[in-house]
Amino acid sequence: MANTVEITCAAEPEALGIFRTFIEDECSRFGIPEEVVFDLKLAVDEVCSNVVMHGYKGMPPGSIILALQFWPDRVTVQITDFGQVFSPDQTPAPDLDGPLEDRRAGGLGWHLIFQTMDSVAYEHSGAGNVLTLQKKLD
Amino acid sequence: MEIKDRKINDITVVGFAGSIDSLTAQQISAHMDGLIAGGASKIVADFSQVDYTSSAGLRVVLLAAKAARGNGGDLFLAGVQKQVEKVLSLTGFTSIIKLFPDVDSAISNF
Repeated sequence: MANTVEITCAAEPEALGIFRTFIEDECSRFGIPEEVVFDLKLAVDEVCSNVVMHGYKGMPPGSIILALQFWPDRVTVQITDFGQVFSPDQTPAPDLDGPLEDRRAGGLGWHLIFQTMDSVAYEHSGAGNVLTLQKKLD
Repeated sequence: MEIKDRKINDITVVGFAGSIDSLTAQQISAHMDGLIAGGASKIVADFSQVDYTSSAGLRVVLLAAKAARGNGGDLFLAGVQKQVEKVLSLTGFTSIIKLFPDVDSAISNF
Protein backbone atom coordinates (compact mmCIF):
# COMPACT_ATOMS: atom_id res chain seq x y z
CA MET A 1 0.00 0.00 0.00
CA ALA A 2 1.43 3.36 -1.01
CA ASN A 3 0.70 6.90 0.13
CA THR A 4 0.29 9.40 -2.67
CA VAL A 5 0.56 13.19 -2.43
CA GLU A 6 0.18 15.63 -5.29
CA ILE A 7 0.74 19.32 -6.07
CA THR A 8 -0.06 21.33 -9.21
CA CYS A 9 1.72 24.56 -10.17
CA ALA A 10 1.74 26.85 -13.19
CA ALA A 11 4.84 26.15 -15.31
CA GLU A 12 6.70 29.25 -14.08
CA PRO A 13 10.26 29.45 -12.68
CA GLU A 14 8.82 30.10 -9.19
CA ALA A 15 7.31 26.59 -9.27
CA LEU A 16 10.77 25.05 -8.91
CA GLY A 17 11.25 26.25 -5.33
CA ILE A 18 7.64 25.35 -4.45
CA PHE A 19 8.20 21.76 -5.70
CA ARG A 20 11.45 21.41 -3.73
CA THR A 21 9.77 22.58 -0.52
CA PHE A 22 6.86 20.20 -1.18
CA ILE A 23 9.27 17.28 -1.62
CA GLU A 24 11.16 18.21 1.56
CA ASP A 25 7.97 18.50 3.62
CA GLU A 26 6.36 15.28 2.37
CA CYS A 27 9.58 13.24 2.57
CA SER A 28 10.06 14.43 6.13
CA ARG A 29 6.57 13.12 7.02
CA PHE A 30 7.51 9.70 5.64
CA GLY A 31 11.00 9.60 7.18
CA ILE A 32 12.90 9.53 3.87
CA PRO A 33 16.70 9.80 4.31
CA GLU A 34 18.27 13.19 3.57
CA GLU A 35 20.40 11.91 0.66
CA VAL A 36 17.36 10.44 -1.07
CA VAL A 37 15.45 13.69 -0.55
CA PHE A 38 18.28 15.64 -2.20
CA ASP A 39 18.30 13.30 -5.21
CA LEU A 40 14.52 13.57 -5.58
CA LYS A 41 14.65 17.38 -5.39
CA LEU A 42 17.43 17.46 -7.98
CA ALA A 43 15.74 15.12 -10.46
CA VAL A 44 12.35 16.86 -10.17
CA ASP A 45 14.03 20.26 -10.49
CA GLU A 46 15.82 19.23 -13.68
CA VAL A 47 12.68 17.78 -15.27
CA CYS A 48 10.51 20.75 -14.29
CA SER A 49 13.16 23.30 -15.38
CA ASN A 50 12.95 21.79 -18.86
CA VAL A 51 9.17 22.03 -18.84
CA VAL A 52 9.27 25.63 -17.58
CA MET A 53 11.91 26.71 -20.12
CA HIS A 54 10.86 24.72 -23.18
CA GLY A 55 7.72 22.65 -22.56
CA TYR A 56 5.11 25.27 -23.33
CA LYS A 57 7.03 27.13 -26.03
CA GLY A 58 4.68 28.39 -28.72
CA MET A 59 1.54 27.60 -26.75
CA PRO A 60 -0.31 29.11 -23.78
CA PRO A 61 1.52 28.36 -20.51
CA GLY A 62 0.07 25.37 -18.71
CA SER A 63 0.63 23.48 -15.53
CA ILE A 64 2.90 20.84 -14.05
CA ILE A 65 1.51 18.15 -11.77
CA LEU A 66 3.95 16.53 -9.36
CA ALA A 67 2.84 13.34 -7.61
CA LEU A 68 4.93 11.47 -5.05
CA GLN A 69 4.12 7.92 -4.10
CA PHE A 70 5.72 6.52 -0.96
CA TRP A 71 6.19 2.73 -0.93
CA PRO A 72 7.97 0.78 1.81
CA ASP A 73 10.96 0.16 -0.48
CA ARG A 74 10.89 3.08 -2.92
CA VAL A 75 9.57 6.52 -3.81
CA THR A 76 7.87 6.93 -7.18
CA VAL A 77 7.65 10.38 -8.74
CA GLN A 78 5.27 11.23 -11.54
CA ILE A 79 5.58 14.55 -13.37
CA THR A 80 2.83 15.44 -15.83
CA ASP A 81 2.69 18.37 -18.23
CA PHE A 82 0.60 19.20 -21.26
CA GLY A 83 3.21 20.93 -23.40
CA GLN A 84 5.47 19.84 -26.24
CA VAL A 85 6.11 16.14 -26.65
CA PHE A 86 9.63 15.40 -25.54
CA SER A 87 11.65 12.27 -25.02
CA PRO A 88 14.72 12.02 -22.77
CA ASP A 89 16.33 9.89 -25.53
CA GLN A 90 16.63 13.04 -27.65
CA THR A 91 19.18 14.65 -25.34
CA PRO A 92 22.85 14.52 -26.36
CA ALA A 93 25.29 12.91 -23.92
CA PRO A 94 27.29 15.57 -22.06
CA ASP A 95 31.08 15.83 -22.15
CA LEU A 96 32.28 14.88 -18.67
CA ASP A 97 36.00 14.48 -19.31
CA GLY A 98 37.28 17.32 -21.48
CA PRO A 99 39.18 20.40 -20.30
CA LEU A 100 37.17 23.35 -18.99
CA GLU A 101 37.58 25.31 -22.22
CA ASP A 102 35.81 22.58 -24.22
CA ARG A 103 32.99 21.86 -21.81
CA ARG A 104 29.43 22.75 -22.63
CA ALA A 105 26.73 23.07 -20.02
CA GLY A 106 24.05 21.37 -22.13
CA GLY A 107 22.77 17.90 -21.35
CA LEU A 108 23.88 17.93 -17.72
CA GLY A 109 20.33 18.00 -16.40
CA TRP A 110 19.29 14.69 -17.94
CA HIS A 111 22.63 13.19 -17.00
CA LEU A 112 21.94 14.08 -13.35
CA ILE A 113 18.44 12.60 -13.55
CA PHE A 114 19.77 9.28 -14.91
CA GLN A 115 22.60 9.26 -12.34
CA THR A 116 20.41 9.87 -9.29
CA MET A 117 17.28 7.86 -10.15
CA ASP A 118 16.94 4.07 -10.39
CA SER A 119 14.55 4.21 -13.31
CA VAL A 120 13.22 6.82 -15.73
CA ALA A 121 10.20 6.19 -17.96
CA TYR A 122 8.44 8.55 -20.32
CA GLU A 123 4.98 8.25 -21.77
CA HIS A 124 2.96 10.55 -23.97
CA SER A 125 -0.77 10.19 -24.37
CA GLY A 126 -3.92 12.27 -24.61
CA ALA A 127 -3.53 12.74 -20.85
CA GLY A 128 -0.26 14.65 -21.33
CA ASN A 129 3.45 13.92 -21.03
CA VAL A 130 4.13 11.74 -18.03
CA LEU A 131 7.63 11.16 -16.74
CA THR A 132 7.91 8.52 -14.03
CA LEU A 133 11.01 8.32 -11.84
CA GLN A 134 11.78 5.70 -9.24
CA LYS A 135 14.18 5.94 -6.34
CA LYS A 136 14.84 2.85 -4.23
CA LEU A 137 15.17 3.05 -0.47
CA ASP A 138 18.00 0.97 0.99
CA MET B 1 19.47 34.15 -3.16
CA GLU B 2 21.76 36.47 -1.21
CA ILE B 3 25.02 37.56 -2.85
CA LYS B 4 27.82 39.37 -1.05
CA ASP B 5 31.11 40.57 -2.58
CA ARG B 6 34.33 41.48 -0.86
CA LYS B 7 37.81 42.22 -2.17
CA ILE B 8 41.00 40.89 -0.64
CA ASN B 9 43.87 42.50 -2.51
CA ASP B 10 43.27 41.55 -6.15
CA ILE B 11 40.98 38.64 -5.30
CA THR B 12 37.19 38.93 -5.42
CA VAL B 13 35.33 36.73 -2.95
CA VAL B 14 31.68 36.24 -3.82
CA GLY B 15 29.51 34.66 -1.17
CA PHE B 16 26.21 33.04 -2.07
CA ALA B 17 23.49 31.96 0.34
CA GLY B 18 20.51 29.83 -0.61
CA SER B 19 19.53 27.36 -3.32
CA ILE B 20 20.60 27.60 -6.95
CA ASP B 21 18.01 26.63 -9.55
CA SER B 22 17.02 27.95 -12.98
CA LEU B 23 15.43 31.00 -11.37
CA THR B 24 18.20 32.03 -8.95
CA ALA B 25 20.93 31.09 -11.44
CA GLN B 26 19.82 34.02 -13.60
CA GLN B 27 20.54 36.39 -10.71
CA ILE B 28 23.96 34.83 -10.12
CA SER B 29 24.76 34.86 -13.83
CA ALA B 30 23.99 38.60 -14.11
CA HIS B 31 26.11 39.27 -11.01
CA MET B 32 29.07 37.28 -12.29
CA ASP B 33 28.83 38.94 -15.72
CA GLY B 34 29.09 42.31 -13.97
CA LEU B 35 32.17 41.26 -12.00
CA ILE B 36 33.91 39.86 -15.07
CA ALA B 37 33.03 42.94 -17.14
CA GLY B 38 34.51 45.03 -14.32
CA GLY B 39 37.80 43.20 -14.80
CA ALA B 40 37.66 40.61 -12.00
CA SER B 41 39.90 37.68 -12.82
CA LYS B 42 40.79 35.97 -9.54
CA ILE B 43 37.47 34.88 -8.10
CA VAL B 44 36.63 32.75 -5.08
CA ALA B 45 33.00 31.63 -5.02
CA ASP B 46 32.11 30.97 -1.40
CA PHE B 47 29.57 28.13 -1.53
CA SER B 48 29.51 27.42 2.22
CA GLN B 49 25.92 28.74 2.47
CA VAL B 50 24.69 27.07 -0.72
CA ASP B 51 22.57 24.08 0.28
CA TYR B 52 21.45 23.04 -3.19
CA THR B 53 22.29 23.40 -6.86
CA SER B 54 20.81 22.03 -10.05
CA SER B 55 22.58 21.95 -13.41
CA ALA B 56 21.61 25.62 -13.77
CA GLY B 57 24.21 26.44 -11.10
CA LEU B 58 26.82 24.34 -12.88
CA ARG B 59 26.23 26.30 -16.06
CA VAL B 60 26.86 29.60 -14.26
CA VAL B 61 30.03 28.26 -12.59
CA LEU B 62 31.31 26.92 -15.92
CA LEU B 63 30.74 30.19 -17.79
CA ALA B 64 32.19 32.32 -14.97
CA ALA B 65 35.28 30.09 -14.71
CA LYS B 66 35.86 30.31 -18.46
CA ALA B 67 35.49 34.11 -18.32
CA ALA B 68 37.82 34.41 -15.29
CA ARG B 69 40.47 32.40 -17.13
CA GLY B 70 39.85 34.56 -20.18
CA ASN B 71 40.73 37.55 -17.97
CA GLY B 72 43.98 35.80 -16.99
CA GLY B 73 42.78 34.44 -13.63
CA ASP B 74 40.64 31.57 -12.41
CA LEU B 75 37.57 30.75 -10.35
CA PHE B 76 37.86 28.57 -7.25
CA LEU B 77 34.99 27.15 -5.22
CA ALA B 78 35.24 27.27 -1.42
CA GLY B 79 33.35 25.49 1.33
CA VAL B 80 31.19 23.36 -0.95
CA GLN B 81 28.64 21.33 1.03
CA LYS B 82 28.58 17.55 0.66
CA GLN B 83 25.41 17.25 -1.45
CA VAL B 84 26.43 20.09 -3.75
CA GLU B 85 29.84 18.47 -4.17
CA LYS B 86 28.05 15.30 -5.26
CA VAL B 87 26.38 17.25 -8.10
CA LEU B 88 29.77 18.65 -9.13
CA SER B 89 31.33 15.22 -8.99
CA LEU B 90 28.56 13.44 -10.97
CA THR B 91 29.04 15.93 -13.81
CA GLY B 92 32.83 15.83 -13.90
CA PHE B 93 33.17 19.38 -12.58
CA THR B 94 35.57 18.41 -9.80
CA SER B 95 38.20 17.70 -12.48
CA ILE B 96 37.97 21.17 -14.08
CA ILE B 97 37.20 23.48 -11.13
CA LYS B 98 39.38 23.59 -8.02
CA LEU B 99 37.58 23.09 -4.72
CA PHE B 100 38.93 24.27 -1.36
CA PRO B 101 37.58 23.60 2.12
CA ASP B 102 37.29 27.30 2.93
CA VAL B 103 37.81 30.79 1.52
CA ASP B 104 41.20 31.30 3.19
CA SER B 105 42.74 28.21 1.61
CA ALA B 106 41.31 29.18 -1.80
CA ILE B 107 42.80 32.67 -1.50
CA SER B 108 46.21 31.33 -0.53
CA ASN B 109 46.26 29.17 -3.69
CA PHE B 110 46.12 32.13 -6.06
